[in-house]
Amino acid sequence: MIKQPNVILGNDELLVTMGRKGDILGFFYPRRDHAQHVEESVACIHTGEKLLWTNDNDWHCIQNYIEDTNIVSTKLYHDSGIRISILDLVHPDVPVLIRRFKIQSQKKISGKFFYYSNFNVGETTKKNSGFCDTDTHLLVQYWQNYHIGIYSLPEFTEWQIGKAMDTIWWTNSKFDMEDGKLQGNKEDIGNINNAAGWDLELEADGANEFVIFIGAASSRRLLYKRIQELSKLPLEYIFEKTREHWVMLLSRKQVLKMPGLEGYDNLRQELFSAYNRALLMLYLLNDRKYGSFVAAPEFDSNFEKCGGYGFCWNRDAAEIVLALKHSGYPEYCDTFFKWCIQTQLSDGSWFQRYWLNGDIAPSWGNFDYSTQIDETGSTLYAMDVYYRVLEGLKKAEFLEEVWVSILRAAEYLMKRTKSGLHERCMDLWETFYGIFTYTNASIYAGLMGASHLAEENGEAGMAKRWKKRAEFVKQATIDRFWLQEGYFAKGVINEKLDKTVDASILGAYVPFGMLSPKDPLEKDMIQFMIGNIQKKLSVPFNLNYGIRRYENDSYINGNPWVVTTLWLSEAMFTLSLELSSEKSTSVVTSGSVVTNGASSGNGEISDDTVKKLTLEGVKCLKWALAGATSTGLLPEQVEQSTGKPAWAIPLGWSGSLMLDNILLLDKICRRRAGNQEES
Amino acid sequence: MVRDLFMFAGFNESSQIVWFKIIYSKEPGSLSSIIDFLEKENAFVMFGHLDNITQNATGEYSVFTELDKDVNPEIFAQKIKELEVVSEVEYGISKYGMVYSMDFPINVIGVRGVAARALTIVDIIKTFNQNAPHAEGLLTISGLKGGIHAAKYFKSILNLNDSNFADVLAELYRGVGWGILEIECDPKTYEGKIIVKDSFIADTYGGSDQPVCAFMSGYFAGYLTEYFGKNISVREVSCKATGKEVCEHIISPAPSGGTGLEHQLRGEIR
Repeated sequence: MIKQPNVILGNDELLVTMGRKGDILGFFYPRRDHAQHVEESVACIHTGEKLLWTNDNDWHCIQNYIEDTNIVSTKLYHDSGIRISILDLVHPDVPVLIRRFKIQSQKKISGKFFYYSNFNVGETTKKNSGFCDTDTHLLVQYWQNYHIGIYSLPEFTEWQIGKAMDTIWWTNSKFDMEDGKLQGNKEDIGNINNAAGWDLELEADGANEFVIFIGAASSRRLLYKRIQELSKLPLEYIFEKTREHWVMLLSRKQVLKMPGLEGYDNLRQELFSAYNRALLMLYLLNDRKYGSFVAAPEFDSNFEKCGGYGFCWNRDAAEIVLALKHSGYPEYCDTFFKWCIQTQLSDGSWFQRYWLNGDIAPSWGNFDYSTQIDETGSTLYAMDVYYRVLEGLKKAEFLEEVWVSILRAAEYLMKRTKSGLHERCMDLWETFYGIFTYTNASIYAGLMGASHLAEENGEAGMAKRWKKRAEFVKQATIDRFWLQEGYFAKGVINEKLDKTVDASILGAYVPFGMLSPKDPLEKDMIQFMIGNIQKKLSVPFNLNYGIRRYENDSYINGNPWVVTTLWLSEAMFTLSLELSSEKSTSVVTSGSVVTNGASSGNGEISDDTVKKLTLEGVKCLKWALAGATSTGLLPEQVEQSTGKPAWAIPLGWSGSLMLDNILLLDKICRRRAGNQEES
Repeated sequence: MVRDLFMFAGFNESSQIVWFKIIYSKEPGSLSSIIDFLEKENAFVMFGHLDNITQNATGEYSVFTELDKDVNPEIFAQKIKELEVVSEVEYGISKYGMVYSMDFPINVIGVRGVAARALTIVDIIKTFNQNAPHAEGLLTISGLKGGIHAAKYFKSILNLNDSNFADVLAELYRGVGWGILEIECDPKTYEGKIIVKDSFIADTYGGSDQPVCAFMSGYFAGYLTEYFGKNISVREVSCKATGKEVCEHIISPAPSGGTGLEHQLRGEIR
C-alpha cells in the first residue's frame, strides 16, 4: 500500500515518516533505507461508545515543523469537539521517537486513549515476537537484532499483544480496542500487533496528556536502558536539547541576505525558510556513516507503481553534496566521495543505484546497454568541482585519495565514447535506451573534470587525452543533436533521432557546462534552449508554471516536476549572473553597455534579458514553493489537477536544487544591490 | 433487496427491453388500468413487482417490458404518465439485454450492494490464497466486518432475538445467493454448527486440499459476535471444495485472556 508522507523527522540512526495526521508511515532504523519496522502506528480514542482513529477523515489537521527544527507539531480537530495536539521529536543522540499527545474536549469524555501499532520488525511479518513487560511497562517487538519498544508516561494500564492477520481474529489488537478494553495478552509470535491503553477521563474543556516513547535498539538490554534513561529526563529538557541540535546545525550555513527582495510580498522570508528546510531535510536523507543519501524515504517498497526511491543514486547524490558544500557543509562531500571510491564497479563505472551501505540495489540496469553512463560522468564532474573549492593540504589529500578512482572512471568513459557519442545505455529518467544529450553532456563534464585533476596530478598526457575526447563528445553532440528549431534532441532511440523536447537537455549548460555563454554562438543556443523548454513543457497552475520532464511524459499522470522546474530556474539564474558578469567586464573594458533589446548573437548583452531571466526564474521558484507540503517539504512532482505535492516526498534532488537556486538568487540580489550602491 | 434486478437470458434484435418505474395512486382498480394499458399497447410484460408498503398514498409498479424496436420509449412513458392514476414514470432501456437494475444503486441490507458473478469473488479469494501471506486470516477478517454490519443492521430494523437470529442469517444468505444454511447454535453455550449447502465459494472454487470458505467463517463469526455481544470463533472443518457433501462450520466461544486454548484447538504444538 502506497502512503506518502507529509513530514519526516529523525536523527543519525532513525528516520521517521508521518502522514498529515501524525500517523507513522515509516520507521527506518538503523539506516535510512533499511529496515523499515512499521506497518501502522497511530493513536485512537474510545469515547465510551466508539473508536475514533486519529488518521480518519473525520479529523481536520494542521501540521508544521517547529521553526528551524525537525520537531513536528500536528493539531487535530474532530467535529465532536475533541482536539489533539501532537508534538513529535526524535532525540538527537538516541534512536527514540517521543510523541506527546495533549487531548482536549469540549464535552465530558469517559473513555480510553489507545495507541495501536502493527510493527513488522526487521521489515518482515514473519517470525516476529512480541511481549508486554508488565513490570517495566514496556511493549517490545523484536526480530533478530532489531528491537522496537513502546513506553509511556503515564504508564499504560492496559495492553494487548495479538495476531495481526489470523483466523483467531479476537486476539487482534485492532479489534480488541473496539469494545473499549484490552484483553491483556502478554506475548505472541508471528505476524503480530499491539496496543496500549489508558483511561481517558475528561471534564468539559479539560485536558489529558500522554507521552509515548518508541525506541529502537540492537538488543533487548540496550532498548530497556535507552528508554529507562530517556524517560527520566523532563520532556522540556529533551525538547530544548533537540531544538538546540537543529539550530546549531543551521548556524553553520552560508548566510543569505537577499537584499532587494523585501518588497516582494513574503518571498524573502519564504526563501529563507525553504533554504533551512532543505538543509534540515537533506540531513535526514543522509547516512552519516556511509555518506550516501536515499533519493527519498521509501514509500513503495513493494515496487507497486515505481521502482522505489529508498536507495542512493550517484546522479542525485552528486548534485546534493555539491549543493550542501555551497551552502556551507563540506563534510557531506568528504564522506560521499569516500563512499564512491568503495562502490565503484570493477570496470570503473558506477551502478544504477545502491543500498546506503554500498551494496548494489535492485536494478533494471545490469548490462552495458541498460546502465546509466551519466552516473559515472556526474560523479567525476562532482569530484572535480569539489577539488576546485578545496584549499591547501586538503586539496592534495583529496586528489591522492580519489586519483585511482578518477583514472578508472575516466577510462570507462573513454571506452564507451570511441565514436564521440556514448554507446547505447539508459537515460537519466530510467525509461529509454539509446544515446542522449544529457548523458553526453555529463560525460563531457566528467572527462573535462578528470582532465583537470590529471593535470593537477602531473599527468599531462592523460589530461590531454581526456580533454580531447571531451571536446570530441561535445562536438559530436552538437553536430548530431542540435536542431535548427533551437534545442537539442532528446537523443537517438531505436536508431532514430528523437526530437522530443526533454528538460534534461538543460544539462548541456547546467550543471555540466558543455555550452558556455562566453561563446556568443553557445550563448544563443542556451537562450533558445531555455525558451523552447519554457514554451513546450510549461504547465500553468498554482499561479505560476511548472515544467514537465518531456513531451508526452506519462509517468504518474505526466505531472510537472519540481526537479525540472528548478533546473530551468537554475539555468536562468546562472545565465543571468554570467551575462551580468560579462556586462560588468564589458563596462570595464569598453566603457559602454549595450542596452537596446535582447542578445543579438554577437555578444551583446541586454539589461532586459538579464532582468527577464531573473524574473522568470523567480516564477519557477514560487511555483516550487507552492507545491511543497504543509511542512515545507519539496516533492518530486506537483499534481496538476490539484496543485498538491505528488509522488516521492521529500525528494533530495528537489531539495538540492532549491539550495542551488536560492544561493544563485542571493548572489544576483547581492550583485544588484552592490551595483546600486556603487552607482 | 435485489427486487429490481432482472436478468435476461437472451436478446431479440427486433425488440427492445424497456423498464418502467410507475408511481400510481393506491385506489381500487388503478393498477388494473395500468396493466390494461400495457396490454393494449402490445407491451409484453416480462417481469415486474409491486411495492404498496414503502409509501403511504402511492404505490410503485416496476415492470420490465419487451417493446417493438420502433416504439419510442420516451413517448410510451409519456403515454403511461397521462393515465389518470399515474403520477410519475421513469424508464430505461436495457441495451444489451444482459443485466439491468431499475434502482441504482442496488440496496443490500441498508447499504449499497453490487451483483457479481460468484467466480468474480472467488477469483479474488483465489488470488489472495495464492499470493498473500496469511490469506486465511485476511479473508476471515474481511468476512468478519460484513457479518458485524449485517447483525447491526438487523438489530436496527427488527427485534433480533434467540428465536430468529439464525433464520434471519439463513434468509440473508439465500437472498443474496451465497448458500443455503442450516444453523444449530445454542445461545446459552454459544456452541453449534452451520451447514452450508451450495456455498458459492466452495461450488465455484474447484478442488482444493484445504477448506476455502474462510471468508464465510469470518462472516458468521462477525454476525454471531455482534449478536451475542461476545467474541465467537467459527471455523470451517469440512468444505465442499475438498470433496465433502457440504461445508460445515463449527461455532464456539472464543478463548479469552490469550491464545493458548485456540492454539490447541487448531492442533498446533507450542
